[in-house]
Amino acid sequence: EETAPKYAAAEKLYKEGEQEDNKKKLRKALTLLEKIEPEFRGKPQGERLVFMLGDTYYELGDYFNAPFQFERFLQLYPNSQKAEEARYKIASSFYHRSPKFNLDQTDTRKAIEELQVYLNTYPEGEFVSTANDMATDLRIKLEKKAYEIAKQYHHTEFYKAAIASFNNFLADYPGSPFREAAYYYRFDSAYKLAINSFQVLMEERLKSAKEYSVSYKKYYPQGEYLPQMEASLNEIEKKLQNF
Amino acid sequence: QDLPLGDSKKYTIGEIKVTGTTTYNEKTVIAYTGLKKGEEIYIPGEKLRSIINKLWSLDLFSDINFYLTNVDGNVADLELEIKEVPVLYQVKFDGVKKKSERDKLIDENGLKPGVKVTENLITTTKNYIENKYRKEGYFNADVAIRTSEANDSVGANKVNMVVDINQGNRVKISDINFIGNEELSDSKLKGTMKKTKQKNPLRFWKRSKFVRADYQTDKAALIDKYKEEGFRDARIISDSLVKKDDETIALTINLEEGNRYFVGNIDFLGNAAYTDDQLSRLLGVKKRDVYNGVVIDERIQSREPNKTSIANIYQNNGYLFSNIDLVETNVYNDTIDFEVRIVEGKEAYFDEIRVTGNTKTKDHVIYREMRTKPGQKYSQEAVVATIRELGALGFFDAEQLNPEFVDPDPREGTLSLEYQVVESGASQIELQGGYGGGGFIGTLGLSFNNFSIQGLFDKDAYTPVPMGDGQTLSLRAQASTFYQTYSLSFREPWLGGKRPVSLSTSFSYTRQFLFDYVNREADKSRSFDILGVNVGLAKRLTDPDQYVTLSNVVGFQRYNLNNYNTGLFTFGNGHSNNLYYKLGIIRDNTAFNPIFPTQGSKFDFSAKFTPPYSLWNGVDYANLQDMDEYQLRDDNGNLINYEGHRVTPENSVPDQEKVDQKKYNWLEFYKIKLAGSWYETLANFGGNSNLVLKTHAEFGFLGAYNNERGVPPFERFYLGGDGLGSYSLDGRETIQLRGYPNQSVVPLDRPADSRDDGAVIYNKYSLELRFPITLKQAASIYALSFLEAGATYDNFRDYNPFQLNRSAGVGLRIFMPTFGLLGIDFGYGFDDVVGQQGPNGWETHFIIGQQF
Repeated sequence: EETAPKYAAAEKLYKEGEQEDNKKKLRKALTLLEKIEPEFRGKPQGERLVFMLGDTYYELGDYFNAPFQFERFLQLYPNSQKAEEARYKIASSFYHRSPKFNLDQTDTRKAIEELQVYLNTYPEGEFVSTANDMATDLRIKLEKKAYEIAKQYHHTEFYKAAIASFNNFLADYPGSPFREAAYYYRFDSAYKLAINSFQVLMEERLKSAKEYSVSYKKYYPQGEYLPQMEASLNEIEKKLQNF
Repeated sequence: QDLPLGDSKKYTIGEIKVTGTTTYNEKTVIAYTGLKKGEEIYIPGEKLRSIINKLWSLDLFSDINFYLTNVDGNVADLELEIKEVPVLYQVKFDGVKKKSERDKLIDENGLKPGVKVTENLITTTKNYIENKYRKEGYFNADVAIRTSEANDSVGANKVNMVVDINQGNRVKISDINFIGNEELSDSKLKGTMKKTKQKNPLRFWKRSKFVRADYQTDKAALIDKYKEEGFRDARIISDSLVKKDDETIALTINLEEGNRYFVGNIDFLGNAAYTDDQLSRLLGVKKRDVYNGVVIDERIQSREPNKTSIANIYQNNGYLFSNIDLVETNVYNDTIDFEVRIVEGKEAYFDEIRVTGNTKTKDHVIYREMRTKPGQKYSQEAVVATIRELGALGFFDAEQLNPEFVDPDPREGTLSLEYQVVESGASQIELQGGYGGGGFIGTLGLSFNNFSIQGLFDKDAYTPVPMGDGQTLSLRAQASTFYQTYSLSFREPWLGGKRPVSLSTSFSYTRQFLFDYVNREADKSRSFDILGVNVGLAKRLTDPDQYVTLSNVVGFQRYNLNNYNTGLFTFGNGHSNNLYYKLGIIRDNTAFNPIFPTQGSKFDFSAKFTPPYSLWNGVDYANLQDMDEYQLRDDNGNLINYEGHRVTPENSVPDQEKVDQKKYNWLEFYKIKLAGSWYETLANFGGNSNLVLKTHAEFGFLGAYNNERGVPPFERFYLGGDGLGSYSLDGRETIQLRGYPNQSVVPLDRPADSRDDGAVIYNKYSLELRFPITLKQAASIYALSFLEAGATYDNFRDYNPFQLNRSAGVGLRIFMPTFGLLGIDFGYGFDDVVGQQGPNGWETHFIIGQQF
């Protein structure tokens, strides 16, 4: 039949395109692959074809079609030699889909999930270190999101909301690079809330701000926010003498 | 395992042949049967029987037979004859006109090309459709399904299906009989049944019909009516439907009214947050009142946001986990004592506030608008207000905003909230070209409603334009052979991100050359330029409430004339500057959908001032025309009169151009405007179908500080027509008054041939009834009808708020996110305009891009 030469042509374009990083060739390969793929269903070349199709999408940066095709590939040929690569590239596609921290993070969560699936299935796999880096990247992104939202409450002077959000942040993300800042801004929110309070509420709030400064200093005795904090603490001590 | 049946014999299978199949390979079929050559079987036997069953169960065949074709000793050749069920090629509907309805029937019955047309399919389809019509009141619906072989060259064994639907007439209700009603009259009961109506030739707007679902609702309404009147126990014992003839049915409803009850003692139990007094005031029911079950229930349990109820005050003040029950404790004679049992539960606080679905709009733009904050006490009102604020942004589909409670924990007293948003197109593009005003005109307009200036420097943000910071950027350029106009405006709604202080800036420049209509070309030596710049700051206030916005604008406009006479100025050479400050106060609590508000009101007050130059510049404006330097002279500086003859100084005449140039070199005026709109939902027809009344009134006044200098011919009010501000070079305000030609409603006491240079006072009132046709994301459409009246005046001596030009009419509005608002109105003007006798009559107005 005439599909065989088409298969050969597509494979050639795919290989060359991938090696030379040539988008034009890859796009040509894609057109051919999409066309002949249905005819090879159930045939021996089918396995290679579905993988190539997914990989061409992947190389071309179509991270919506790529995971779909790889997912299909894994369903059809779960024992394929290429299964590990497909699994990794599904996760990696979601990694690339993950938007900026201040937008909807559904894809980020999905990517972390997929990376975890890869890491659990192939703990000794070829892509383990990249996958780990990606997962860390994405986790920091989620941490940044939560931190920035809490920080916005501080900025817009909704100090109670800021304290509640920083509390949640500190409980949810141990080991985050934003922890020190979170500890400091939690203190600062409590401090600003206190000094702007009515007289009856002030003492209690000043004390609670003081407690927050203690937990900051415990973890960051040489912290970069110490000078500002000391200045605020002086103010707190002065005010506390009125009670 | 094979077993013999009856007097069967054991054979060894020889050849197996399959006949009658068209779509399946012979080998495939044999493989499926599991029979092999050389195998021993009984004929007839259990094995053959189970093979036939197996084939049957595939639902692919309508006939299956085994034949013995040749027997040689104990070797038998077998033939399997099968007849395939035909597949559907095309289905046609007779008697259904609408394509959407046909598609729906195809969908619901699975009549896609390629399905196997079995008897079962035909029967279920027929029953399904007949039932469907019955439910809608077509009791005589009749469906016939015919199949015929399809003449399809591609594959045989296909059939066409014709579904012939004869829906017949809807049955009408000839009589509704009530049995057992003594306290409420038949007609009162019939009145409560809103959809199920008895046949009546005089009521032509709502025809009698019988729809089962509506009938069930109406029966519930009937019982509610009794409950409102104190008949707590009223019930329908039975109801029957009698078919009188093919077209009519009669309904008989058998009621038991029970006794009328009155309110006895009311006790509140379990309330700690509110006192008995507060709650009973809220309940608003006194001892010996008629026991109105519906109202009592609503005042206690209703969770609808705008209703006053005990449940709501708890919900709005942190008691998410509260539970309120009404228990009747004692019934004696005609009196009911009851208890309101309240379980207040723990006060709930918001833990986390999350947003999902924002694929373009950044977090900070959304979070800053929210009324629900972490650590704050739960309030149903705040959730509703947040939805309104997010809807008003215009970045999300207002109809799909969805708050979801996550992990409500009654023991800890916490809950998280997740707002699910759906982004909607927030940019509008205008690109047009065409002939007009004697030449080609091209327009390019871009308006980005969720722009991000920060994104301009980030190459990843171009998708295709940087978006998501909630800023607005509009660019517009228009050019033709004789004029060009450019404008650019930018708005940041939260300058600094701390408070909603909006910064808006705009710049515009228009240059126009004199157009020579005879030679059809522009005279580049004669021109008219306008330059405009303004900067404004607006701030949402917290006092007196959160709906008030205060705005300040400083603006400057410069008009430059170069041997160019327009209707605006009496001089053709010179310039005029307009430097002003404008203060605006707006209170807007309209809700929920900005395209189609259903409640709330909007007030808009503005005052615009220029500096009072004449206070200090020492110019004697009253006597300008008598001064020597403002007398008419020829090119050599000799005094002349209007005919151009030289005159002596005693007979000199003023040069009006020079006088006016002096008067208007810096414009001096103040302008006050006031407008108010109220939206009220008159009736709800389920879902978003609200009939809304918009009441609107507005007033404007333009004045001068110095009467000698006078009110400039700028910034004036032009009433009438569609109100679109087309070509407004002179800062004029065009005010909509439908039913009259554009800008035609001039002060009544002007002479018929006066030049229309706008009025200095106007007022306008309107009533508009609006009803939505659809409020989907792709397009919001609503119909409206209006009554309007307005008038303009030259001064307060003539001002008469009741001497108005009135009009009425109907119209339609379509809002599509990419195009903005489009609309058409037909208005009838009842009064005459200056220069015309009799009513103005019908006018058609096209509305483009004007919102609200």
